[in-house]
Amino acid sequence: MWERTLQDLIRGLRANRSDESRFIAQAMSEIRREVKSGDMDLKAGAILKLTYLDMVGYDMSWASFNVVEVMSSPKYHLKAVGYLAASQSFNQDTDVLMLTTNMIKKDLGSSPLEVAAALNGLSDIATPDLARDLTPELIAMLNHSRAHIRKRAVLALYKVILKYPNALQVGLPRLRDRLDDPDPGVMSATVNVLCELTRRNPEEYLFLAPQLFQILTTSSNNWMLIKIIKLFGALAPAEPRLVKKLKPPISELISSTSAISLLYECVHTCIIGGMLDGPSGFSLAETCTRKLAAFLQDPDQNLKYIALLALVKIVPSHPHLIAEYEEAIIASLDLPDISIRLRALDLISAMVTPNNIQSLVQQLLSHLIKPESLTTAPPSAAESLARSASGISTASVPPPTTNLAPTYRMEVSKRIIEMCSRADFENITDFEWYLSVLVDLAYIASVRIGALIRDQIIEVTLRAKSTRPYCVKLMSKLIGDDTLALSSTDEDSCSEVLWAAGWICGEYASDLSDPPQILEYLTNRHTDTLASDISSIYIQASLKVLGQWLAEKAEQWRLENLPKIIEIVSLTKSGIERLTAHHDLEVQERAASAVQLLTFIQADITRHQSSRSALGSSNNNPEPDFPKSLYLLSPLFSTHEIASSLSASHPVPTLEGIDLDSWIVPSEYAREQARSKPVAQPQHITVKGTSSHRTSVKKKTKKAPKDRTAPTPTELGPTAEELAAKARAKAERLARLRDDPYYIVDPSTQEDDIDSIPIMKLEADNFAPREETVHKAESRDLDEQPAEVALADGEGTSTTLKDTLPQEEVASAPATDTIKVTKVKKKGIGVKKKKPKITDRE
Amino acid sequence: MIHSVLIFNTSGTPRLTKFYTPLHQPAQPLIQKIFSLIATRPPGVCNFLDAPDLNETLRAPNTAPGDVRVVYRNYATLSFVFVVDGAESELGILDLIQVFVESLDRAFENVCELDLVFHFDEAHHILNEVIQGGLVLETNVDEIATAVQDKTRARKASLTSSNPLAIGGSSSGSRNGSLQTPMGWLTGRLTGVGSR
Repeated sequence: MWERTLQDLIRGLRANRSDESRFIAQAMSEIRREVKSGDMDLKAGAILKLTYLDMVGYDMSWASFNVVEVMSSPKYHLKAVGYLAASQSFNQDTDVLMLTTNMIKKDLGSSPLEVAAALNGLSDIATPDLARDLTPELIAMLNHSRAHIRKRAVLALYKVILKYPNALQVGLPRLRDRLDDPDPGVMSATVNVLCELTRRNPEEYLFLAPQLFQILTTSSNNWMLIKIIKLFGALAPAEPRLVKKLKPPISELISSTSAISLLYECVHTCIIGGMLDGPSGFSLAETCTRKLAAFLQDPDQNLKYIALLALVKIVPSHPHLIAEYEEAIIASLDLPDISIRLRALDLISAMVTPNNIQSLVQQLLSHLIKPESLTTAPPSAAESLARSASGISTASVPPPTTNLAPTYRMEVSKRIIEMCSRADFENITDFEWYLSVLVDLAYIASVRIGALIRDQIIEVTLRAKSTRPYCVKLMSKLIGDDTLALSSTDEDSCSEVLWAAGWICGEYASDLSDPPQILEYLTNRHTDTLASDISSIYIQASLKVLGQWLAEKAEQWRLENLPKIIEIVSLTKSGIERLTAHHDLEVQERAASAVQLLTFIQADITRHQSSRSALGSSNNNPEPDFPKSLYLLSPLFSTHEIASSLSASHPVPTLEGIDLDSWIVPSEYAREQARSKPVAQPQHITVKGTSSHRTSVKKKTKKAPKDRTAPTPTELGPTAEELAAKARAKAERLARLRDDPYYIVDPSTQEDDIDSIPIMKLEADNFAPREETVHKAESRDLDEQPAEVALADGEGTSTTLKDTLPQEEVASAPATDTIKVTKVKKKGIGVKKKKPKITDRE
Repeated sequence: MIHSVLIFNTSGTPRLTKFYTPLHQPAQPLIQKIFSLIATRPPGVCNFLDAPDLNETLRAPNTAPGDVRVVYRNYATLSFVFVVDGAESELGILDLIQVFVESLDRAFENVCELDLVFHFDEAHHILNEVIQGGLVLETNVDEIATAVQDKTRARKASLTSSNPLAIGGSSSGSRNGSLQTPMGWLTGRLTGVGSR
C-alpha cells in the first residue's frame, strides 16, 4: 500500500514546481484509480486530494458521484471530507445531487456533529428540489435542543428559502420565534437572516418591527446591533412612521457608542432610511455630517474611505452641509490610495453645482497633470524601503500605479465630462469655458477618450450658437498644432478631437480669421499620419473653407487678388491629390471628387486670368468681372444648415392658415377656459426628441440651452380649482366619447356600471335558420372541423355565436363572408366551453 | 451576505478559496485579478479594494452595480480577502477577518502559511465555524475554538475507531488535537509538520 496522502501530494507539488503539469497528470491518474477502490478511506483520501487540486484550478466534476459515496459513509471523519468536497465542487447543475436527499435527511436525524455537518453542507449545495424536500426537517431543527444546531438551522433556512420561496410561509413565523431565543448566537443569526430577507422585500417584514425595535433598545451586542440597524435601514423607506420612532434610539446610539463600526452604520442608516428629511432631520443631518467629516480627517484610511462612501449619499439632500468640507474631499484625491481616490471622485461629481463646477473641474484637471510625474518617476527611496520592510518583494510586483493609472485617468476624464454634460449641461453657465476644458482634456488626458471629447465639442458647438466664433478660434488652433496630429498613432492620444476641429472649421468657415492658413493645415500637414476618418473630414472641410473663401473673394472682387486665388486653389488641389492614393476607400473617393471640382475651378480661373491679361484692364463689360467658378463650391455646403437637424433646436415651421392654439373639436374644457379667463399661454408644440437632442419651440426662442431650466408659465403648477375643473371636464369628455366610434376609450378609466349590462336568456330556436345558411355557405370551411360544429349544433349553443358579434355586423354580413364565419365559429367554441348559458355583453 | 472568502500568498498562490455564491466565471482569473490589484497597493492604505474595472469582474449577473465590495487584510505572507455585498458592514467584515485569523491561530498555535498549505481541509472546517453559507455563524473566538476542537476530536475518534493501526494518521492533521498519543505526536512531526 503506497498511496499518496494529501500531505504527500502537496509536498510533491512543492518539490516539482518546474514540472508541475507532469506531476499533476500522474497524481490525477492515481486519484482516478483510487476513487474506484472499495476501501472507503482510500477513496476519501483521493477525494480530499481532488478537492485540493480543485482549488488550484483542476476540474473535479467528473468525480461527483464518488463524492456522494464518501458523503454517505457512516464514519464521521470520512463524511466530513465528503461534505467538504461537495460544498467546494457541486453546483446547481450537478446531477448526482438528487441522490443526496435521503442521505441528508438521515444525517439531519443523526448525532449533533453530523447534523451540523449536514446543515453546513446543505447551505452550500441546496437546489430547489433539495430545498423543497428538506424544508420540514429544517423547520423542525429550529427547535433543536442545542443552540449550535439551532443557529446553523436558521442560517440554512435562509439558503433554502432562496431556492424554494414557499418555505418562507412556514419558516417566517418560526424565524420570528427565534428572535426571542435564549441563546444570543441564535438571535444574532436570526437577525442576520432577516436582514438579508428584508433587503429583498421590505414590505413583507414590517410586522417584525416592534420585536426588532425591542432588540435595538435592549441589546448591547455590537455585531447584532449593526445588523439590526442595517435591517431598519431597509425597513424605514417602506414605512415612514418607523422613521419617527427610530430617530431617538439611533441618535442616542450615535452619541453614546464607542464602536466606530456601529456609529458608522447608524449614520449610514439615518441617510438611507430618509431620517434626514424635513426640518426635524436637519440637526441629525448636521450631526451625521460632522461625524463623517471627522472620519475624513482621521489618519485611519478605512474611516476615510467609508466616510466618503456615506457622504455621497447625503449630498443629494443636503449639498450645502458637504460644501464646507470640499477642501478635505479634494485633498483625498492626492492620496496614494486608489480606492479612496475613486470614492472621492464619486463624491466630487455628486457635489457639482453651477456655482462650483469651474473650481472643481479645474482641480480635477490639475489632478490629472500631477500623477503624470508620479507614474514616470521611480518609487521613492522611502517607499521602496517601506515595501521591503513589509515583506513584499519588489521584484515580483510591477511598479505601483502603472497598471492602474490609465484606467484611473480614464475614470477621471470621464467624470469631468459627465459632470459637465449631466442633465443637458444644466451645470454649465459658460460654454466657452467648457470648450476650453475639453481642449485641455484632450491634451492632458493621455488616455483614449478622444471620441468622447470630439462628440462633446460638436454637441456644444451645435447647440450653443453663441460659442461658435470662439470655438472656431479654438479649433483652428488645434488644427495648427502638430502635437495631436503627430501622436495620432500613439495608444494614449486623443487625436479624434481633430475630427471635431476639422468639421467645425469647415462648417463655420465664415468665422475663420485666416482661411488660407487653415487650408494649408487641412491639406498639407501630416495628412498621412492621420486616421482615415479624420482625413476624409479634412477633405470635406477644406472644400467648405475654400468655397467660403472663394465666394468672399468674388463678392469683393479685385483683379489683383487673382494670383493669390490661383495659388491657394492649386495648393489645396495638390494637397488633396496626394490622398487619392490613400489606403482607405472613403478617403480616396472624396479626394478624387474634390480634385475634379478643383481642377474645374483651376481651369476656369486660369483661363480668366489669361483672357483678362489679353484684354487688358480696359473693360467696359457691365457683367461682374470675376470667374464664375468662384461660386461653384459654396452652394454645395451652404444651402442647408446641417446644424438644425443635428442639434434639433430648430422650430417646427408654422403652417399658413392653421391656428395651433384653437381646438379642432371645441371641448367643454376649452370653452370653460375661454369663459373663465382669456387664454393665458399659447400652446407650444413640443416635439419630443431623444434625450440628447431635444427639440422644442421654446428652446429656440431662448437661443442658449443654459436658459432652458427657467420655468415657463405653462410649466408652473396648476392651482387646485384648475385641477378640479380639469377633472370635471375630463369626466364629461369621457362620458361623451364613450359612444363615439372614433375614440378608443381607455377601459381602466371607465367605471363599469354592472347593472346597465343587459342580460338575457337566448333561445336556440330563434337563430337556427340563420345559422343554417351560414353553415351551408361555408360548409367546406366548417367541414375541416366537423366535430366542433357538431358539438355546437348538438347543444344548441352555436346560436349564441351570433350574439357575441355586434348585431349590425351579422345583419349586414353576406352569408358568404368567410372571415366572419370563421370568427363566429371560433367564438362559438370558446363560449361553448365556458358554460351553456350566455351573457350578452352588448 | 459574504460572497466569497479567499486566502492567497504574496505570489498569488491560492491557499483557501470558498465561494458562497456560484461564480459565473472561472475562479482562477478572478483570484489573479484581485491578487494583482492588492499586490500593487502601497502599505498604509485602506483595506477596501476599489478599481475602475473591478466591479465588472466581480458582479454576478443579477446584482446591482457597485453593490459588491472587496475587503482584505494582509497577515505576514497571506492576504485574506472577503468579497461582500451591501448587507454587510464594511468595518464589521474587517473585524470578522480578524476573528477568523484568531480562530486559525488558536487551532494551529502561531498559524503560518505552511499550516494552511498542509491542512487546507482543517482551515475549511474552521471557516465553517465562522461562516455558514455566506452568513456569519459565530463571532466569538472562544465559541469557535470550542466548536473546532469538538469537531477535530470527533474526527480523530472516528478515525482511530475505524482504523486502529493508523494512530494519529495523516489525513486529519491538527497538531493540538486532544487525542494525541506520543506516537501520534511523532507521526505528526514526521509528516505534516516536520517539513516546515
